[in-house]
Amino acid sequence: MSNLLLTRSDVGEFRRRFRWMALAVFLAFVVVLCRLFQLQVVSGSDYASIAHENIIRRATLSTTRGVVRDSQGKILASSRPSYNVHIVPGRVLPSSRRSIRKASVDEADTWPRVADALRLNPADRSRFEARIRAACAGDEDTPGRRGGRDPKTSPCWRAMLVREDVPRDIVAELRQHQTELAGAEIVAVPVRYYPYKNLGAHMLGYIAEIDADTLSKVRPAGYDALKTDERGQVNPLNYDVGDTHGATGVEHAWESYLRGQRGWEKRVVDARGRYRTGPEAERLIDAPKRQEAIVGRDLRLTIDIELTQAIERAMRPHAAGAVVVVEVRTGRILALYSKPDFDPNDLSGGSGRARIREAFGRMYSDPLRPLLDKTVTGAFQPGSTFKPFSALAALEDNVMNPDETERCDGFINFGRKAFRCTHVHGKVNMREAIGESCNIYFAKVAELAGMDRIAKIATDFGLGSKTGVGVNPESAGRIPTRAWYAMRYRGQFRLGFTINAAIGQGATAVTPLQLTLAYGALANGGTLYSPQIVRAVETSDGSVVQDFPPRVRQQVNVKPENLARIYDGLYSVVNDPKGTAWGVRDPSLDIAGKTGTAQTGYVAKPEDDPKLAAYYAQNHAWFAAFAPSKAPEIAVVALVEHGGAGPTQAAPVAIAVVREYQRLAAVRAGREAPARAPARKTASAPGTPTAPAAVAVAPAAPLPAREPAEPLPPLDAPAAEDPPQ
Amino acid sequence: MSMRGSLLDGGDFGGRARDHFDWALFIVASLLAVIGVINLYSATSVAKLGLQDMYIQQVYWLVVGGILATFVAAIDYRHYERLGYILYAGGVVLLLLVFVLGRDIRGSSRWIYIGSFSLQPSEFTKLGLIIALAKYLHDDPKSEGRQLRDLLGPALLTAVPTLLILRQPDLGTALIHALIFCSICALMRISLKSLTTLAVAGAVAVPVVWMYVLKEYQKQRVTSFLNPEANILGSNWHAHHARVAIGNGGFSGSGFMRGTQNQFLFLPDQYSDFPFAVYAEDWGFLGCALLIFLYGFLILWAIRIASTARDRFGAVIAVGVGALIFWHAFFNLGMVTGILPVVGVTLPLFSYGGSSVLTIFVGIGLLMNVSMRRSYVSPTRRPGLAFR
Repeated sequence: MSNLLLTRSDVGEFRRRFRWMALAVFLAFVVVLCRLFQLQVVSGSDYASIAHENIIRRATLSTTRGVVRDSQGKILASSRPSYNVHIVPGRVLPSSRRSIRKASVDEADTWPRVADALRLNPADRSRFEARIRAACAGDEDTPGRRGGRDPKTSPCWRAMLVREDVPRDIVAELRQHQTELAGAEIVAVPVRYYPYKNLGAHMLGYIAEIDADTLSKVRPAGYDALKTDERGQVNPLNYDVGDTHGATGVEHAWESYLRGQRGWEKRVVDARGRYRTGPEAERLIDAPKRQEAIVGRDLRLTIDIELTQAIERAMRPHAAGAVVVVEVRTGRILALYSKPDFDPNDLSGGSGRARIREAFGRMYSDPLRPLLDKTVTGAFQPGSTFKPFSALAALEDNVMNPDETERCDGFINFGRKAFRCTHVHGKVNMREAIGESCNIYFAKVAELAGMDRIAKIATDFGLGSKTGVGVNPESAGRIPTRAWYAMRYRGQFRLGFTINAAIGQGATAVTPLQLTLAYGALANGGTLYSPQIVRAVETSDGSVVQDFPPRVRQQVNVKPENLARIYDGLYSVVNDPKGTAWGVRDPSLDIAGKTGTAQTGYVAKPEDDPKLAAYYAQNHAWFAAFAPSKAPEIAVVALVEHGGAGPTQAAPVAIAVVREYQRLAAVRAGREAPARAPARKTASAPGTPTAPAAVAVAPAAPLPAREPAEPLPPLDAPAAEDPPQ
Repeated sequence: MSMRGSLLDGGDFGGRARDHFDWALFIVASLLAVIGVINLYSATSVAKLGLQDMYIQQVYWLVVGGILATFVAAIDYRHYERLGYILYAGGVVLLLLVFVLGRDIRGSSRWIYIGSFSLQPSEFTKLGLIIALAKYLHDDPKSEGRQLRDLLGPALLTAVPTLLILRQPDLGTALIHALIFCSICALMRISLKSLTTLAVAGAVAVPVVWMYVLKEYQKQRVTSFLNPEANILGSNWHAHHARVAIGNGGFSGSGFMRGTQNQFLFLPDQYSDFPFAVYAEDWGFLGCALLIFLYGFLILWAIRIASTARDRFGAVIAVGVGALIFWHAFFNLGMVTGILPVVGVTLPLFSYGGSSVLTIFVGIGLLMNVSMRRSYVSPTRRPGLAFR
């Protein structure tokens, strides 16, 4: 104890230091206080808005694409839910994790059970297992970086797609055993669904994920920095990465109607991406809180899918071709059928990317080009189906007397070459020349009328120019003129060119749709309609927003008596024993039409597959018709590519279409008004030339009732998984 | 005089020790502890279940710390002087034990585990160092300016624990040790020549330390500090979100437990290194000003205690404890507000941690001890801060 009583050491050395120390401490805290003033008072509102942005996220409210129905209200395209199963690697296989977030005792590997439930085959199973382990292998701690890898970037906690479009029974099983299958998540996404599969695929089109080119157009560099209204200008439909859009057909052309508009809702989200709800969270959301999604418009097409079914049946014997049916008095398209076709369900994503790739691979390698819509994109030599227009040109310009005959010996000598006819017709007048399809007579027509007169009439009937159907890229075709030949050929213009033009050969090319509309105009007395494929735009609950009336494209100025002569000829094709289609006619049907057998000018090359070469060497078979012949309602064109002879190959198809059309009309008339008599069967006596009078536009009939679309369940995006700490 | 009486009453000071109870020190320290616990409650209210009762743990530590501080204050500090080097050596042995018993957590080992108990020796060596330095200076009075060789002893005393802690590695705590040494050096009268030499040596040391001592992640923190808005999702995540939280508090704060940055989990380490960001967001500039006033008062009060201390040992102890609290508070606030790089330094009485709480409370006990046994101050000069 004694040392405690000693005199303590002197503090004199320190005396003068305390003041400076106090000053230093004071200044240090003043600096901190100034910094706090700057952060909290001067720029407090800036930081407040950053903090606000941190917790507010705009969640997208999904919209549903509009439903496409046929003229009778049957659903052609709608959306169905597809269930995809995602897994979170870190949760289905906790044993694969290598961090301080190590598996706790109550976490078991659920992956084997998930794989069993999904019925994965052993190859897929081991492949996914390897992927899971690879994802979590990097999830260990790195020294100095607290908590190891950022959970937001670690693939161990990011959902991984395991199986797409899982059948409903498996979905039910997964839902039932949800607790034992931790880490597996079912996500419902809308998938476009085409109940009629291949039927009308070209016309309907399909849905595809938006490609990089289109996306870079609607979302150019710097897009995110734009203001909302500027964004609306470059990207009116609000496409985002990974969105789908209509790739072809009606789906593409009417995208802006069908797509609808996504909405958004502000939600409170924490740093881990979890949504927070409750009044406390609600309080933090600023106005406007929500913008509702707008559901896409429904479309009512002019297409009759039952008629298309009949076309498909009639075309079954043939490898490739096209059939178009148009209402003569409205220009409404009842059927656009192109063969070979494809199943748009395969391309629209529901069955997974592998299926899409496989389907496209198959179609690109198919020499018959199934993706091509031959009704509007394909242009073909029309062959003899063009003859009525040549004849009309000669009549209109009074260069020929239709009752005078030409002598057909089966050929004419023409320079050094002989121009051949199908067979020796003897003396034929215009009616017989059309009915029996005599080329020699039309060589005379060509000589007398000249190329440009023929081209004028053909052009007036809409051949050789785009119809404006608006669905799928349209080919213009070609009606050659002397000027075209002058540009194209250096040598002298030859009569042979004109003869070829008069019989629809040589440079002449038309699309099946053009030819159908032209025959429709022949049938209705010269009114060329714009083709119409969408009848009306409707809301999802069925009220009509817009009902499109028929539109006349132009009135062709031809004399009715000349038209009557042509009509007479077309009538004789089917109904005169010497007519080319007499052999395949259906006596119960009243049809006028023209057969065509177009040479394709194919010359086999040595490298061609001999089987394909034999196929390509065949002629195109055509039949263009309208029915009933007295009061025409529809025009039909059937093209069988490389089918051979028009009368035997194409005509039966067109006749079957007319038969089905009349049957359907009778059935529907009976259903709607049972009292009314079934459709009349008129068969006028052969040889009475009467042209159908120009008919006024049909009054707008009320749209038939529609098939209700199945509502989609609530759809959700895959949520980020919250990693345990 | 019984042994017990001499210990508690401070021998020749007689009954005066009890009369000198330092109420200001007691009240300010208690206020800081209470605010700290309340803030810890807000900070951990959103954490997962295991962490939510952290504030209760902290209350337990505060109670233990209070009892410990009472004992520390009651025993005359001159007993500590006698035991100075032994306490210091005990701390260093504990540090060495860390290398044997410590477990690797996030790349560094700082704790000793005894059953379910964990102990961070580097916290206690701060006090050991203060006592050792105080003893050294107490025994080595100088009337003229000190030369470099006079500083060798204190420098060695500091270097041993500092280098051991740097090996753990724990840059923040090592830094605090070094700064305590510097602060105590500031008390001494050092010759101009020595001072110049030290300054030059310091200037040379900075690049050497940067090149050879600092680890990659430690350098990264400094570079991130110099470029605060880069890499917000990576190395600057902590600093960025802490700044946003503080700014979001504004002038009057979001309200208790209503700060969104904390409530929505944007603040990592909200209970260890960043509790001030939670506090600033909840209470705003007004609350921060109050807190800084309390810390400032506590430290200035420690200097005042030093200035009135009866002997050199007491003065150095008071300055050392003051420096301990100051550097912790200044570095933590500086780091959280973004005026200093992110160095893991706790905020006294705000950060969760038993070792930290005990260290601060024992330090305050020492302050109380020195304050109660100070030299006589005339009643007219007692109010206000008297620096002589």
